[in-house]
Amino acid sequence: DALLPAPQSISILSTNMKHFLTWSPVIVQGATVRYSVEFQGEYEREYANGSWIPISECSLTTATVCNITEDISATVAYKLRVRAELGATRSRWGTTKGFFNRAMTSLTPPLLRVVADGHHLLVELADMGPSFQFRLLYWKKSQESRVQQKVVKEVSSMVHLDTMEAGAEYCVKAQTHVEAINRSSSFSPTQCVMAQGDTSVWLV
Amino acid sequence: GACRVSMSMTEIRAGFTAIKANIQSRDPIRTLSILSHPHSLHKVKSSDRCCITHQLFTFYVDKVFKHCRTEDSFVNRKISSIANSFLSVRRKLGQCREQNNCVCGEESTEKFKQILANYEGLNVTSAAMKSLGELDILLDWMEKSR
Amino acid sequence: SGELYCSLPNPRNVRFESINMKNVLHWSAPEGTGDGVLYKVKYAVYGVGKWIRKPECRNLNRTWCDLSSETSDYEEQYYASVKAFLNGTCSGWMETTRFNPLTDTKIDPPMVNVSSTDRSISIILTAPEKWKRSPEEESISMIQVYPGLQYNVSVLNKKTKKRWFFSISNNTLVVPWLEPGTAYCVSAQIHVTTPVLDSDFSKEHCITTLKDK
Repeated sequence: DALLPAPQSISILSTNMKHFLTWSPVIVQGATVRYSVEFQGEYEREYANGSWIPISECSLTTATVCNITEDISATVAYKLRVRAELGATRSRWGTTKGFFNRAMTSLTPPLLRVVADGHHLLVELADMGPSFQFRLLYWKKSQESRVQQKVVKEVSSMVHLDTMEAGAEYCVKAQTHVEAINRSSSFSPTQCVMAQGDTSVWLV
Repeated sequence: GACRVSMSMTEIRAGFTAIKANIQSRDPIRTLSILSHPHSLHKVKSSDRCCITHQLFTFYVDKVFKHCRTEDSFVNRKISSIANSFLSVRRKLGQCREQNNCVCGEESTEKFKQILANYEGLNVTSAAMKSLGELDILLDWMEKSR
Repeated sequence: SGELYCSLPNPRNVRFESINMKNVLHWSAPEGTGDGVLYKVKYAVYGVGKWIRKPECRNLNRTWCDLSSETSDYEEQYYASVKAFLNGTCSGWMETTRFNPLTDTKIDPPMVNVSSTDRSISIILTAPEKWKRSPEEESISMIQVYPGLQYNVSVLNKKTKKRWFFSISNNTLVVPWLEPGTAYCVSAQIHVTTPVLDSDFSKEHCITTLKDK
């Protein structure tokens, strides 16, 4: 096994609760090296004799990245390891330095589109997965001190926010919130739209 | 004060639902329950709820999950997910106990004794697999009494 | 009476089909059997030590048996089992998986009631009721069974073809500032976050706002 070096530069990329393990390829001229990945949660370390659990989707893979999102599904400290395999030869395990906790994921502001439909203020939010809620702040442009809030837990296409006064301009910004790690993203850029003017017919 | 613990019940539920049929099919004993008979969790007084919850999370972490290893990689991964979530919640409940917000009354002590007696009445693997198969009994009770 | 030697194939696909906790046991006839098969049914409360026969489901010549009454306590879980008989022989008992009424039922869409003025529509939603033994029995709304129950409401402007979504916890919604003389179609869905239970969307209820005075 010592002939096959362990994978190096093992790291975890985690954005918006999607977590990926990556490593540098092990180069063996004229041969296809494969890799296998295993994870260990705090429970396995403390209560299951430090056991490791294989990730079947990343067993004998030729890729140098593994989606570990499904397995990093508790807010505890995890360790990951990967080894190279070439036929019957296996390298030693390369293990992540330190621990990974999904609370460390980086959260980006939500993608938001604000729409005025007559007197109605609506928003379209990009779906970011079941872990995410959206906190929307909106206000009438001239009344920045009277900000209103709405929490949207499930994304559907056009979410109704509120009704607007005729002819007034309203502004909206949003941030995501992940209850599982009790953290929020920064706010999206503010978007403003104009409510339809009053269409009453004036008798002259 | 009250003990407020944020936990992602949805994730635990999803993990259990994914393996429920598999796990329950490994438990052939219809006539015995670890959690719900002879005393139902639904009869626990609200003042005892926090303590019973903490005892049950400790029970699952200390006694149950480690004896539920299967030949199925998918099932093992879901059990790991649930076990690590339980560990995270158990820690928060433990903090409540330290702050005396999770007092154990006589009833919860008696109820938990009954659960342990049910558990010890079976061989360890059967008891652990039956307990894991009854996770929805615990989750249903927790959600109802939220 | 001693059991016959049972060489008949077993009933197949024995399962509970549950809507608003009306829990009906269904199964398919044993493979290769035509008419004339009879069945008997028993059920058990999980964790309690005995199987109970259902008299009304003895010598049954159909492939379902309503066990709603026997499984109405949704704080319990249940098993049910079916045995087939034909020409003096029988099958083995075939069991369901463990049935949890709380998580394994399907919820009907809410009832939708819509009224309108010239520039607004008012929507009143009514969650379905839990199955009950008789009309005289006290009604239990599914809201009482699932305290976290919410409604997703869709409002479609038939003229602009634009659809808006609302998510509400109480059962009434007023949508003001609409176009007069315009048709709006409303449908609603029940959404329970945990356990995850979503009804289908109700059929659309369309109404036209009054013409401008």
